[in-house]
Amino acid sequence: MKTRARAAWLALLCLAGATRALAHDAPYSFLDLRLGPGGLDGALTAHVFDLAHELGVAAPDSLLDSTRATAVADRLARVLGGRLRLVADGRAVPPRWTGIAVDRDRQALTLRFEAKWAHAPGALDVDARLFPYDPQHETYLNVYQGDSLRLQALLDHRHAHARVYDRGAQGRWAVVATFVGAGIQHIFLGPDHVLFVIGLLLLGGGLARLLKVVTAFTLAHSVTLALATLRLVDPPARLIEPLIALSIVLVGVENLRSRPGRDHRAVLAFLFGLVHGFGFAGVLRQFGLPSEALGWSLFSFNLGVEVGQACIVATVAPLLGMVRDRSSSGSTLVVRYGSCAVMLAGAYWLGQRLLLAAHG
Amino acid sequence: MRRMVMAWAALACMAAPARAHEFWLAPSAYRASAGDTVSLRVYVGTGFRGELKPYAPSRTVRFLLRATRELDLSRAARNGDRVMARFVAPDDGGALVAYQSNFADIELPSADFDRYLADEGLDAVRAARAQKPSGATARERYARSPKTWIAGTDSTRASRPVGLDYELVPRGAPGARSALTVQVLFRGRPLAGALVRAWHRPLADPTHPVDAAARDSVAPVLRARTDGRGLATLAIDAYGEWMLSSVHMRPSADREEADWESYWASLTFAKPLP
Repeated sequence: MKTRARAAWLALLCLAGATRALAHDAPYSFLDLRLGPGGLDGALTAHVFDLAHELGVAAPDSLLDSTRATAVADRLARVLGGRLRLVADGRAVPPRWTGIAVDRDRQALTLRFEAKWAHAPGALDVDARLFPYDPQHETYLNVYQGDSLRLQALLDHRHAHARVYDRGAQGRWAVVATFVGAGIQHIFLGPDHVLFVIGLLLLGGGLARLLKVVTAFTLAHSVTLALATLRLVDPPARLIEPLIALSIVLVGVENLRSRPGRDHRAVLAFLFGLVHGFGFAGVLRQFGLPSEALGWSLFSFNLGVEVGQACIVATVAPLLGMVRDRSSSGSTLVVRYGSCAVMLAGAYWLGQRLLLAAHG
Repeated sequence: MRRMVMAWAALACMAAPARAHEFWLAPSAYRASAGDTVSLRVYVGTGFRGELKPYAPSRTVRFLLRATRELDLSRAARNGDRVMARFVAPDDGGALVAYQSNFADIELPSADFDRYLADEGLDAVRAARAQKPSGATARERYARSPKTWIAGTDSTRASRPVGLDYELVPRGAPGARSALTVQVLFRGRPLAGALVRAWHRPLADPTHPVDAAARDSVAPVLRARTDGRGLATLAIDAYGEWMLSSVHMRPSADREEADWESYWASLTFAKPLP
């Protein structure tokens, strides 16, 4: 429907006698934001073809006349302002439109605006779907703070949101809060990681032993998470996801094969921790890493993963300890059936992911 | 009124081919001597007439210049810059510029998609779609890899592959002879049966192209399919600016993202007056 609307408009223009100058193969606009301590100054530049469509003007070039442009400024501000959302630290900061200028070189109009805030925010969210009827439309978003270009992003119909962090302390805090939360969320929403950790805990053991197992897992996944995030090593998801499932099967097998004096969990945790780290990196990339705060976001996400893991250990280990203290046969049953359940779940994911990889 | 607009649109659609968009690099000059400054823009459009496409770092996988050595140009411009890079020719040897984008996506009504497949000569995909009932729309993701040759004395700069996902590799200096053989490589391997099309436009003067946004669309003047070694030969006998383009499509490696993935390669160059 959106494409049809655009086609109709193009046809109308063509049949009205417009020729080559009006064809519009690459629809795009520009959104420049300059952040300051008291607010931001913005400039939104859009092609007259797209603006004419919004206004129902048959001759887009007529908008390049400054008197005409001034006359339509309020209408454009109303339409485009409704499709631009700025949120500073969770609080909407509505733009106040301040003027319009003709940009003949780009066959465009530039609408200027400003937004005020009491305190410079740690994070600014920008949502812009400026011409929603056109799925091919792209908006080049540049955010400046002082002399530095803090963010370069391309917004389109599928990715209409971008976030930029302040370069000061409040920005770092916003990064930490965002990515610690993302790490914790990922651990709890990713049942495969939870099950792997639970599988490692089923056999129990003293605090020192559990610490050794968990530390091995943490060390390993921290290394590969960093390597993959920095794109130094980048194995494909179709390889990593089945391997993560296999790790869950193997931790169950290892539990069932365990004998007194034979505990390879730390080794297993380290080896497969390397694989899980690549999985974490995939999630972190999907989350959208801020290039201007790469180190902080990586550190914070890892911290969040550790916090999530620590919560699992703090919950599961005492429960297993209680069972073990009450009855040794009960403890054996928990290890046996628990490990079988872990293996079955891992085998299910393994089959599912191998099938996906084969057909993907 | 609405009905009338739709009727006009239908008429216009009947008159126009399916809107498959070529993507090409346009240097400010197709020949450079040592010390000359060349600026690079990229255009998207149909029939070798297009609109300038600004630079987007987030869409860029590779952007390089090969002259006396290879230079990474991916940080030469900012997001939204309309000139993607400027460089000073280090010698008279010529320069090859290559760009590769990551995937962008598009969804087309099935009928439009089939028309576009026919235009681009993607017969294997058409046959596959004909065998299997498809939905009302086709989801495609596409990546682009244009190259341009700024002529000079060292043709090996043009004739060595760069290593783009999909690449047109000329055998010899493009525009130097009356026939040009290109090898079509997909991930470094020759691709048989690929359709290569060529468009031609006059130059503004012996080395400078006419602004691609200020000219009319033209139909391709040449077509050739690659043989088993991925080779296709085209008769580049007219003086002026040339664009070769080829599209390769296959089922998408990520079915959640798209049903099909296409790779668009182009090569622009000029055949100078003798």
